[in-house]
Parts: sequence; C-alpha cells; structure tokens
Amino acid sequence: MPLTHDHDAAGEAFPMTHGGGTDLGALLLALLVFNVRLTLSAVAIALPLACLFAAGRLSRSRLVQLPVTAYVNLLRSLPLVMIMFWVYTVGPLITGRPNSAWLSALLALAAFEVAYFTEIVRAGLQSITVGQRHAGLASGLTGPQVTRRIILPQAVRRMTPSLLTQGLIAFQDSTIASIISVPEILQTATVINAREQDPIRLYSMLAATFFIICSLLSLAVRRMERRRSRRLSLGATA
Amino acid sequence: MPAGLDWSVLWRPPYGAQVLDAILLTVQIAVVSWVIAMIVGVLVGLGREAPLTPVRLLAGAHVEVFRNIPVLVQLFFVYYVLPRLLPLDMRRALFRMGWETGAAVLALSMYSSAKIAEHVRAGLNAVSRHVRQGALATGLTWWQAQRCVILPLLLRVIAPSLTSEFVTIFKGSSLAMTVGVVETAYITQEIGADTFHWVEANTLGTVVYLACALLIAGVMSLVERWTYVPGLMRRESG
Repeated sequence: MPLTHDHDAAGEAFPMTHGGGTDLGALLLALLVFNVRLTLSAVAIALPLACLFAAGRLSRSRLVQLPVTAYVNLLRSLPLVMIMFWVYTVGPLITGRPNSAWLSALLALAAFEVAYFTEIVRAGLQSITVGQRHAGLASGLTGPQVTRRIILPQAVRRMTPSLLTQGLIAFQDSTIASIISVPEILQTATVINAREQDPIRLYSMLAATFFIICSLLSLAVRRMERRRSRRLSLGATA
Repeated sequence: MPAGLDWSVLWRPPYGAQVLDAILLTVQIAVVSWVIAMIVGVLVGLGREAPLTPVRLLAGAHVEVFRNIPVLVQLFFVYYVLPRLLPLDMRRALFRMGWETGAAVLALSMYSSAKIAEHVRAGLNAVSRHVRQGALATGLTWWQAQRCVILPLLLRVIAPSLTSEFVTIFKGSSLAMTVGVVETAYITQEIGADTFHWVEANTLGTVVYLACALLIAGVMSLVERWTYVPGLMRRESG
C-alpha cells in the first residue's frame, strides 16, 4: 500500500495508508502483519518443543523429568507480561546486543506457550490406555512401531481441539506485545487514539474485529470436535 | 551497565514502601475481580442450562462476547470508551476516584466470568442428570434445587478449574499497568528503568507472582480436602 501524507488540524503531516477507511485499514494491516505472524511463528516454535517436553515429563528418568516439570510450572505461574519484560530487558544484558521488541515478544510468547502446549500433549498421550501399548507389543510390533502406528494417531486426534483452542488463546495473548511497543494492532490503535481522540469508534472496531475472528475460529473448532465425537461414538469402541 | 547485583534497590527508599503498596494493590485487584467473576460466572453458567430460552440466549451471548475479545482490548475499551458515555462531571469524578483500577477490575472480572461460566457448564454435565432431575422432582423450585443440591456438588467438581482461573486472574492483574495502575508489574519496570538493576527488579515480580500461585494452589487443596464428599469423583465405571 503506497503511503501518502495528510495534514491534521495542527498542520502536522502524518503518514496514512492510501484509500478510505484509514483507521480500519491500518488496524487490519497491523493485525495481519504482526499479531497473526507473531502467533503463527510462536506456535511453530512452541509446538515441536512441547512434544519434546511432554516426552520429558513422561520419562522415567528424574534427571529429565524434574527440570521440565519445573519449567512448565514456573512458566504457567507467571504472567506473560513478566516473561516479556524478562526477555526484553535482561536479554540484551546476556547477549550483549541491543534487542528488538518483535524478537523479544516472539521468544516470550513461544516460551509461554511451550508450557501450555506441553500439558496438552502430555494429557493427550496419557489418555491412551496402557492396554493399547500392551496389545501392540503382544501382536509383535516393536516399541517405536507401536508408538508411531497405534499411540500417536489416536493421541493426535484427541489433542487437536485443545491445541487449536490454545492457539486461539495465544492469538489473543499476542496483543500483550503492545506493552513492549511492538507495532501490532493494539499499539497501532493506541497511537491512532492519541492522534484522533475518537476512542469509541476506534476501540469498538478493535473489539469487533477480535470478536468476529475469534468467535468464528472457536465455532469451527467446536464443530470439528462434535464431528469427531459423533464419528467415534458411531463406530469405534476404544 | 552495572557490574554486580544489588538487591537493596528493592527495599531502599523510596522503593521499599512503593513495592509493598504495589503488591497490596495486585492482591486487592485480584481478589475483588475474583469475587465478582465468581458471582457473575456461576449465574451465567447456570443460566446457560436454564429452562427459559431468553435467559439461555443472554447467557450464551455474555460468554461469547467476553471470551472472544482479548483481556487487554476489553481493558482499553472499558477505560477509554465507557467514561465517554457519561456526562462530563461524572467523568471527572470517575477519574478522580481512580478509574484505572476500576476499569481493570471490571474488564478482568467480565473476562473471567465468561471462563468460569464455561467451567460451570462443563461441571453441570458432570453432575449426573439423574441428580438434577431428582432434585426438581422432590418439589424444589429451580432456584432451590440449584442452591441446595446442584451448586454444592458442582463447585466441588470444578474446584481445580476454579483454582487455575484464580491464578489466571492474579496474572491478569499485571495487565492493569497499561492504563497506569501502579501494581507489581508496573513497579518492577519502574525500579528497573530508574536503577538499571533489571535482574533484581524482574526477580521481584517473578517471586511475587510465583508466591501467589503457590499460595492459591496450597489454600485450594486444603479447601478441597475440608469439603471432600466421598464418592463424588469416582463416578466412572469400568
């Protein structure tokens, strides 16, 4: 979108996006470029790590289990704001390089979501009864084969709705990045509000945008859950 | 950059008293929000399964609206937009009384009430249908049945969910810093920015939130033990 300049009442020039609906356009652009990208990137980092951590939580070795459990419990007790502040303010002290708000927000959100995803994956894996593994081993499959062909397909199907719901929560949490001045949708709205002083229209648009997106997505997740439970109750037994 | 850690920044004047005030404010916001959220959440949750259709629709709308909009967006909406709907002198009185804290409590409690309502609905399905219909069949009115039979069972069943919701409210109180409430997260950043002792300042915040989470979990497990009803949780057969 080409940037043009306009002049406000004081004669100061400020950049605005081309075309009508300036504010809504700027908000949606910020949403797409920052919130969505932040959420997807954080989830892309967090999900594989969470699978590793879940395996760690279920492992029999205390050396692996204790640190992972400590991490999960610690990160679930802290607000995301504190985690972002840790990364944003103490990160440069460790790496010696100036930080970027975007990277700090990404790492903080990823670290935060790893804890929640780990619990979901662990619950999903534990919900498969032990009998499944025993039956698989008894029919001659090796351990890894049992995991890959019997346990994982069932566990993944059970985990998916919770994982998607948690992803939706992560999307809502991405607005917290505005506190460290990532120019995402909430920060953009604050800037526009400071400039135009029409908070009713602005924040109503903001709330409505999130309401539409999140309610549609959560509706889709619930429909998927219902279809899956209907399919399971019709045919399968375990 | 300061070379060593200096923990005295946390209690040296003027920060010492400010830190205590900030922690007290965090606790106050969390407790008040929780009380409001519990009352509203339980009512809305019961309302979703009420026999009257308009009540069901209203409760459903409440849950959908307050669940799908991020807390921070709700906070900004409440803080900036609601005062505009009032006449000017009421608006001034509101801000003079400290509207920031009030807005934070309102937004936090409404968001959590939607979550609690969902937990209540899940808990209702866990309380067997026979119990619910039996209570009504003995001649109790709907409201008496809820109060004397269903709520005692329901609250015990969903106690773990309520515990984690309380911890979430505590964490959510940190978001009040965005509208200028001087609570724990705010004071840690102020100390850090003033003294550049970021590690000590952030550790203060971390310890406070960790201590709150541990305390809540401990108290709730005590409460669960005192209110234990034998046979309530072991309903699953085979």
